[in-house]
Amino acid sequence: MPGIVKTIDNVLRGRLTRKEDLAAGRIDVPVPTLVAAGLLLGIVYGLCMGLFAVMREGNPSTPQLFATAVKVPLLFLLTLVVTYPSLYVVSALFDSRLRSAQTLRLLLTAMCVNLALLASLGPVTAFFTLSTDSYSFMVLLNVLFMGLSGIAGLAFLRRALDAVFHVAPPVELPVKPSQAPAAEFGRAPGDSAADFGERASRPMLRAPARFATPPSRRIFSFWLLIYGVVGAQMGWILRPFIGDPGLEFQFFRARESNFFAAVIEALQNLFS
Amino acid sequence: MIAHVDALLRARGPFAVGRGPVPLALLVALLAICGFLYGAAMGASDARALQALYSGLKVPLLLACATLFCLPNFFVVNTFLGLREDFGAALRAVLSAQATVAVALCAMSPLILTVYASSENYRFAVFMNGVIFALATLAGQRTLMRHYAPLVQSNPRHRICRLAWVLLYVFVAIQLAWVLRPFIGDPGSASTFFREGAWSNAYVVILRDVLGF
Repeated sequence: MPGIVKTIDNVLRGRLTRKEDLAAGRIDVPVPTLVAAGLLLGIVYGLCMGLFAVMREGNPSTPQLFATAVKVPLLFLLTLVVTYPSLYVVSALFDSRLRSAQTLRLLLTAMCVNLALLASLGPVTAFFTLSTDSYSFMVLLNVLFMGLSGIAGLAFLRRALDAVFHVAPPVELPVKPSQAPAAEFGRAPGDSAADFGERASRPMLRAPARFATPPSRRIFSFWLLIYGVVGAQMGWILRPFIGDPGLEFQFFRARESNFFAAVIEALQNLFS
Repeated sequence: MIAHVDALLRARGPFAVGRGPVPLALLVALLAICGFLYGAAMGASDARALQALYSGLKVPLLLACATLFCLPNFFVVNTFLGLREDFGAALRAVLSAQATVAVALCAMSPLILTVYASSENYRFAVFMNGVIFALATLAGQRTLMRHYAPLVQSNPRHRICRLAWVLLYVFVAIQLAWVLRPFIGDPGSASTFFREGAWSNAYVVILRDVLGF
């Protein structure tokens, strides 16, 4: 247990993801401890989130509390399991210095950051749970907190990816404006194996790297899209987390609708 | 006590800006005493001793609980942004700001008594208390800024931490104040510690009753 807390602390302090280590493609994080830390943090927030089902007036449900405590860490771990292969393929396509195991470690670390921020908002969620009976408000508050902590996790990931791809600024090649057709493709050096031949034959036609989107940012955009959509939908599949007061406890609900339609509906309910 | 209040307001002595140990006992004592005095004045609108006692207990409770609920997040955000080394100073800043709010409230308690003496209008009393809380919060901001100035200078990321703290704190404090009501005591109802049916959500009430959604 103290080891887990220590690991969480080290992750947050960025001691496990130093720039020089990342630049060398090294991430020395103990995977089992990170998973345990993720589980612990997820359970803490899950208990705060599931409290609403126990406290609500009429139809209180204790099983929902335990179900939510299990589901929150599950949500993050399953999302990682489902998206990891695609995320790895994308980063490998861009010639990332991180091997497959290192990529997994980086993603686990980012998940830990995300969950640590979420768990730190747990007391606020619990307080609002104790003082509100509006189900729609709790749904939106939880979506907001998950979103905010998600942004922190992503900021961490983006910084780490920048460090992974950090290279000394390239020497600018003299390029005449009329001779720079490659710039319109927006490729950075080493984008893929496919443009190697082109580069070898026409080295002077490459645009200076600073005009192109760096590969770290491209990987990040792909990851953001894949992870965000899958994560949101995974949350929807695993619902109920909070427990609609009008419905009986179920471990999973029927397969219907999707996350984005549900958020819009909660907004409409709150304003009607 | 006056000497401590003076030191707090000027950020000197044990409350000086910097990294030293947080003078927790002093800050808690100032918050409890000053908060109690303002609360007692706040609840004295109808000259009911019981309501004054209840409100006296509730004002420090409000300030302390809102702080406690937000501290875990403040700690994690500071650590995450790589500002853990400065956390002692940041904690001094937010806790001193809380104590400053209580001191400012206490200083304005004669004002609220004058308001009560000059009008029997309950809504006006509520409004003036709102104004006084807003002013006290500004006083707290002054202390927060003073403590944060060298921090921001050493690392601009401290701005994010300060903003995150203020936003979350205000969000929580508004709801907590709503839950802990009555503070003033409607002349039409009996003195109570918690109002019947107070466990509702301030934001939902504002949306429904004030904005008419």
